[in-house]
This record gives sequence, C-alpha cells and structure tokens, in this order.
Amino acid sequence: MGKRITTRSAQRKPTRSPRREKERCVAVLKKLSAYIDDELPGALCDELRKHLGDCPNCEEFVLSLRQTVALCRHRPALALSQAERARMRNDILRAARPR
Amino acid sequence: MKSSTSTKRPAPVPHNEARTAASFDALYRDHVDQMYRFATRLCGEPEAAKDLVQETFLNAYRGYQAFRGEAQVSTWLYAIAARACSRMRRKRKGAPDRELSLEEFIPTSEGEFRLQIPVGGLSPEEALQNKELRQALDRAIAALPKKYRMVLVLRDMEGLSAKEVGGIVGLNERAVKSRLHRARLFVRRELSAQGLAASEPSHNAHNGHPFTQGGR
Repeated sequence: MGKRITTRSAQRKPTRSPRREKERCVAVLKKLSAYIDDELPGALCDELRKHLGDCPNCEEFVLSLRQTVALCRHRPALALSQAERARMRNDILRAARPR
Repeated sequence: MKSSTSTKRPAPVPHNEARTAASFDALYRDHVDQMYRFATRLCGEPEAAKDLVQETFLNAYRGYQAFRGEAQVSTWLYAIAARACSRMRRKRKGAPDRELSLEEFIPTSEGEFRLQIPVGGLSPEEALQNKELRQALDRAIAALPKKYRMVLVLRDMEGLSAKEVGGIVGLNERAVKSRLHRARLFVRRELSAQGLAASEPSHNAHNGHPFTQGGR
C-alpha cells in the first residue's frame, strides 16, 4: 500500500497490478449473487473464494450483500385482521357476482 | 353492467357457480394471508395492498374455471397479483421504471466497497426488531424500480425459485437472476446509505463500523 514500486519488473507481474486487481474485483462483484445462492460451478466458486480470502474489500462487500439478502428474507410480514379478511371476501364476492 | 345481456360467454349453470363459490372460499381461506403479505411487500402500504388483494382474488374468481391446475395454485395467484399490480401502478404515478446498470454499483472507492449494513452483529431476526432498520429496508425496497422490486420480492422475500419467478414475470431464468442481482446491489447500497441516518450514535458506538467513510 505505502510502497510505490514503479519499476518495469514489477509491472510484469500481473497479479500485482492494481488495475488487474480492480478488474478482478469487478468480475467478482458481478457474480456475487450467484455465489451467495450457491449457483456457481465448482471451479469458479473456488476461484472467487480465493479472491475473497485475498481481498478485504470484496470480503466486506459480500458480507454486506449477504446481510441484505438475509434481511429481505426475514422481513416480518403484516397480517390481516379476521374482520378485514371477512370484509374483503364479501366485497370480492359482491363484485364477482353483480346482481 | 357487464352481465345484463349475455354476449359471448354462456351464463354459468347454477351447479358450476355453486362449485366455484365453494372452491373460491377454500382458495381465499388458504391463500389470502400469503397474497396480502406479497401485496404489502410490493405496494408498501396496507390500503394499496388490500386493493391489490381484492383485485387479485376477483380476477382469480373470474378465471377459476380456466385454471387447469397445471401450475401450483399459489404460483397462479402470484401471477394474477403481479399482473394486477402492474396495471394498478400504471394508473397511479409510481417511481419511474428505470433500468439499473451493473456499472452504477461498482465501487469507486474503498469506502464504497466497505459500506456496512447496520445490523450490529445481530441475527437478521434480531436486527429487524429495530424499527429504524425495518423502515430503512422498506424504503430501500420501495425505491427500487418496479420490475426489479417484483423479482426481489418474489425471489428473496416470498422464497420462489428463479424458474418460478420467470414463469410469473415472463422472463427466462438468466434474466431473472440478472435482475435479482441488480436489485440486491441497489438495496445494499440504499440500506447502507440510509443506515447513516437511521443508526445514530448508539448503533455506531455499538458495532464500531465506520458507516461514514463511504458517505458520498
């Protein structure tokens, strides 16, 4: 992070290039829902998991996306009262069978 | 108005009508809570949700004899509700239905990568006991363009498979997944941004996450 290596030999190592790293993060980001839903083929999944292990930013990102999905899944639902349920049933039947 | 003269459709024989009414009662009894839950998630407010439920069951009643049971009853009802919802929304002026591009969710700074959801280390159930978080989640979902909200609600809230969602909204699985991913990224971003305002000092102090760092 603090070191600024600008020699040509350093640039030859693709994994060290910040640009390549960013591209990898973007590629990972595009697959995160498939990853969370366990829909990635094995090899891709391993590759992605390896990246997450090496990249704290993506690791944080996937955590927050997982949390988002978990919150959606667990959002409690509103319920109708017995009286509302009965009233709506009568309204529907009245509208369905106009006499 | 519609039934004063028989036009195309023959008048149903009483026997069928009685059967339809009895089946309708069972259908309504078994599915009204599920449809109300779905409707509140789509509409965000109880009155609009009740309208949608009524419209859904009215259409279900009218279409009951055509329903051959090839789809699960609940999937059939979801599809009726989804259509009714898009008709109702077209009448009102809802949020503009824009496309979400993946590019807009690519973080441009470390702070954006590390946006936090204000759950403070709690389980989702525990975290959602916090009214502010629930409201922030609802606002984030409500802010989704409607075709993305439909997919997110069906898949992540109602728990349908991508294939079932595709059948309901008329998309292939791949398109459903693509829409779902964008919808989740949108909610994540909204939720973490709203968390800044919603979780004032006590929450920040509690979990120590730097919510403010990706603030812009």
